[in-house]
Amino acid sequence: MIDIILGIGHLAASNTPHTQIKTYALGSCVAIILLCPRMRSVGMVHVALAEAQINPSKATTLPGYFADTGLPALLKEMSLLTGRLGPAELYAKITGGASLIGTNDTFNIGQRNIRKIKELLASSGIRLVAEDVGGTISRTVAVATNTGEVELSSPGRPNWKL
Amino acid sequence: MEQSVQDRILESINQAPMLSPSAARLLELIADADHDLQDVLTIIRADFTLTARILRVVNSAALSLLQPVASIDRAVTYLGERYVVGLAVTDCAAAVYDRPLPGYDADQQAMWRHHLYCAIVSRLVARHARRQIDADVAFTGGLLHDIGKAILSEYIKGTPEKFVGGISDGAYRDYLDAEDQYLGIDHVQAGYSLAKHWRLPEVLQQIILHHHNPSSAPEEYRALAFAVHLGDILSMMAGFQTGSDGLQYRIDEGYKDYFTLTPVDLERLISEANIDFDKFQSSLNS
Repeated sequence: MIDIILGIGHLAASNTPHTQIKTYALGSCVAIILLCPRMRSVGMVHVALAEAQINPSKATTLPGYFADTGLPALLKEMSLLTGRLGPAELYAKITGGASLIGTNDTFNIGQRNIRKIKELLASSGIRLVAEDVGGTISRTVAVATNTGEVELSSPGRPNWKL
Repeated sequence: MEQSVQDRILESINQAPMLSPSAARLLELIADADHDLQDVLTIIRADFTLTARILRVVNSAALSLLQPVASIDRAVTYLGERYVVGLAVTDCAAAVYDRPLPGYDADQQAMWRHHLYCAIVSRLVARHARRQIDADVAFTGGLLHDIGKAILSEYIKGTPEKFVGGISDGAYRDYLDAEDQYLGIDHVQAGYSLAKHWRLPEVLQQIILHHHNPSSAPEEYRALAFAVHLGDILSMMAGFQTGSDGLQYRIDEGYKDYFTLTPVDLERLISEANIDFDKFQSSLNS
């Protein structure tokens, strides 16, 4: 299996067999995973914050860092790989968006990320089919091109599927 | 009579290797707000290994300087004192930062990455303090705050699942409580003992001891302990945790008396810290 590892704000798409896209320790960050069964392609972006207005210059150099620039950038990356894709051909899974135990609203960046991503997916017409979000665990996530299977792990827990 | 685990841990702290003389003196100097840059340079010039390391970093590709820097004075001025202290501490305490921590399910890089990110955010958070605090001390405190984990890791191997599950079930209040119930000592107490053994300045000892519960710090150190507490929290949220204990702590709400922070402030802090972290790490690795 070939691993494509994403850092914070990075994104990738692949339809190469026996490949997985993986990102580590999401914390309050959220991974958006897009799956296109027709083209057997997958994509992932590691989003740190909801809106690019926090740092527009960073959004230019690293669009995946923010949800509102990251989702369009991921869609573009997948289209470059397979040709134009309609929203009806895509499914989304999301994971991450955790917080500390008993966090307050100010520190709940994870919830703000999740809320924004759900709004963006809804307005793009992309169906959200699965989510494993919130809570107090930092997740590592991998999606495989062959199966579209999404595997999650977190220190101190057995791995699980999404 | 058989020694208790707690006694064995304290004994291992007392036998831990000391910091290099230059790192110890730099930490002592930086903790004094009125220190002089010339004193920092005098310590560095006397340490050939540290001097060579600083010159290598300042001339690294990551910093992309137009002209090579050959003078240690110019290098320190360019990099800043906190950077130099970071190099000195981490180079001489490789046993703390540069090894996996199986007790926390943490790989070799995790401890250093967590400390560096926390140091960067703690310094940035200092800007939001209601009363001025020394941002460089916050940085150094962030760089050292979790040294106790390097001591405890050997004694809590195989516990991550038990601890994380226990917190989820309500058996433990947080990871600190889990460590304490299991060993009779937690990583802030172990870190405090190691800081005393290393003869770190009082302010750094207090930050290490109170970084999860800054409200209990003596008033004169409380704002700095809160800066590192917030830096630690934001590190974990940004994905720079040590390992299994990531996010398994609580916020000390007393921070509101010492800092003004909005949700937008926090997001800007994380965004800025990521940029600083990438620069710092790539220059160190060169």
